Amino acid sequence: MQEGPVNTPAHLHAVPIGGSPIADMEIVARCRRGDSHAWRTLYDRFAPVVYRFLSAFGVPLEDREDACQEVFVAVYRSLGHFRGEARLSTWIYRIAARHASRTARRRRVRSLLSTLLVREPPPPPAPDPSERSERLQILDDLVSKLSPKKRLVLVLFEIEGVPIEEVAKIAGCPENTAWSRLHYARAELTAMARRRIR
Amino acid sequence: LNERSWPGTSGSDPAEVFLRRALDDAALRAPDDVTLRRGWTAVAEPVKPSRARSWSWFAGGVATTAALALVCGLWLWPRAVATFALTSPVTTPRAPAQVAPGARRLTLEGGVEAQLGPSGVMRIEDGAPRVEKGEVRFSVPHRPPGHPFVVRADDYSVVVVGTRFGVVVNDQVVGVDVDEGIVEVRQTAAQRRLARLSPGQVWHSADASVETSGAPAPEPPAPALPVSPAVSAPASAPEPGHVHVRIHDHRQAARPAARALALATPGGGSATAGRAAITSTPAGLSTASDESANAARSALSAGDAPRALQIYRALALKTGPAAENAAYQAGKVQNERLGQPANAVATWRRYRAEYPDGILRVEADVSIIETLARAGDADDALGEANDFLRRHPDSERRAEIARLAGDLYRARGDCRHAVGAYQIVLGASRPRDVVEIASFRRAACLVRLGDAGGSEAARAYLRTYPTGRFRTEAAALVGDGARSVDGRARPQ
Repeated sequence: MQEGPVNTPAHLHAVPIGGSPIADMEIVARCRRGDSHAWRTLYDRFAPVVYRFLSAFGVPLEDREDACQEVFVAVYRSLGHFRGEARLSTWIYRIAARHASRTARRRRVRSLLSTLLVREPPPPPAPDPSERSERLQILDDLVSKLSPKKRLVLVLFEIEGVPIEEVAKIAGCPENTAWSRLHYARAELTAMARRRIR
Repeated sequence: LNERSWPGTSGSDPAEVFLRRALDDAALRAPDDVTLRRGWTAVAEPVKPSRARSWSWFAGGVATTAALALVCGLWLWPRAVATFALTSPVTTPRAPAQVAPGARRLTLEGGVEAQLGPSGVMRIEDGAPRVEKGEVRFSVPHRPPGHPFVVRADDYSVVVVGTRFGVVVNDQVVGVDVDEGIVEVRQTAAQRRLARLSPGQVWHSADASVETSGAPAPEPPAPALPVSPAVSAPASAPEPGHVHVRIHDHRQAARPAARALALATPGGGSATAGRAAITSTPAGLSTASDESANAARSALSAGDAPRALQIYRALALKTGPAAENAAYQAGKVQNERLGQPANAVATWRRYRAEYPDGILRVEADVSIIETLARAGDADDALGEANDFLRRHPDSERRAEIARLAGDLYRARGDCRHAVGAYQIVLGASRPRDVVEIASFRRAACLVRLGDAGGSEAARAYLRTYPTGRFRTEAAALVGDGARSVDGRARPQ
């Protein structure tokens, strides 16, 4: 029996996140025809993924739900443009990444306006005291300090388990660039974690 | 770099240990089912896909300018109005509908449509709309449990889960009429229920009267918990605690003030009639479903599991998300609190029968498999596990279930099937510890089978997890590939 290192990107490639391309195209075609069951299937399949991605990408808790809904509205609006050249998951990740960046920009503008107009920004939600939540908060904080390009590659590869060739497609860069960004993102994250934990 | 072995597994660097745990946590982060349902409510009927874009640049420019002007204006306006206007474009996945002449249509958070009459004035206060003057008609899609829609008018609150209704304020007199569904009118300060309105009924604050234009609609009895445990009610069964009133065009018979309420019914409205279960208000007002869910949680906190089970069963007889939740939770109570695994499995199977595509379907499947496995019913557990693996090719729980199936096969000495199950686990990236265990146990099974790939599988384990928890046993497998190490290498 052929054996190789487990958990490598190549290995993951055999198990697409969003199902086979045929299934993807079928579900998209049914959505285009107005099949509400297909739309529900698509939502059920990808809503947790999008939510998790937005969380890891640094969209704050109070904006996460709206951002997730916006992504799905955008997905629905753009279904006519999905040609099946990439996996459905890749395409949705790309939309989600765009929206996450947009949400971050909007938040910065909102914060700036709040400062200019001397308005109190809404208080952040009360922190969850559990150890797991604390770990996640620290991770989110560290990841948010990475540049958006490195952050995207790191989140997709390390948290979402997306193969690097798909990561490159989502990030719109060559594969080698994606590897390079990942390398530097890992190094920066490790260094930040060491400083934080010390 | 190519392998997913970062961060390291040595355990000597606390930063790496922390990152590894945190990344695993992040990979398993998932929204709760209420969030998912709320999201589905918002996107269930999205706008139509965009058409030709010949005017898109021009229209985009105009829209951007208008939006900027609007945003700037709203930032200078009182906060309540700003909230209203800013939230509306975010969650507006609604189909366009006919608007009465002179009326303005707005979409609020959660897909709620508000149609303001020519003299209607509405503000948003603390996240809820307040009708200041004139008439506003609302079309409210089904709401998730615990998130009813509340409209305030003068000293009154109108509480609703999913329906179509209108509110009018004229000279300090508030009127409420209902097209579909059931709403409650409450006195905001005292939180006292003043009226419960069915379709065709009109309520006025002047004399606190309820007027019915169609068939008489008696006040529905308070929802009561059935004493006997019950399985799920058929879909056609009347909902306990609700009176089904024939929808009647009350506009002809209503008195003048009521007639003023009756604008054209919004075309294409998607509100669901009749079966909406009223839950609680954010302000602390509570109604049937939410009270029941809270009561069940309180009973569990107090250690009264039989009572919680009874409440969940009663709630499961209703319809909607709260009922679905309750149908699943009843099984959890039986399994975890009452020590009745067989009954729990039966309850979850009933849940599956009633909600074959329910949002908790995967949870129910996993609960059944784990409970059967713990109870020692390996045959049934394996049947369910294999069905799960066939049915959910993309589930995040796939690796866990495949590993469980592998362990069950291995425990009965069926290494060949165990290898197949562990192989499925290796196709997943998370959870890492599950993948690591499956990687080692697969190697052990191959060695036990005398498969030539056994040693190589053990070496692959050592390459991927050089400091893994089974490194000693894996090294033994490599050194003595033909010897079974199952007995001493079984780590847990």
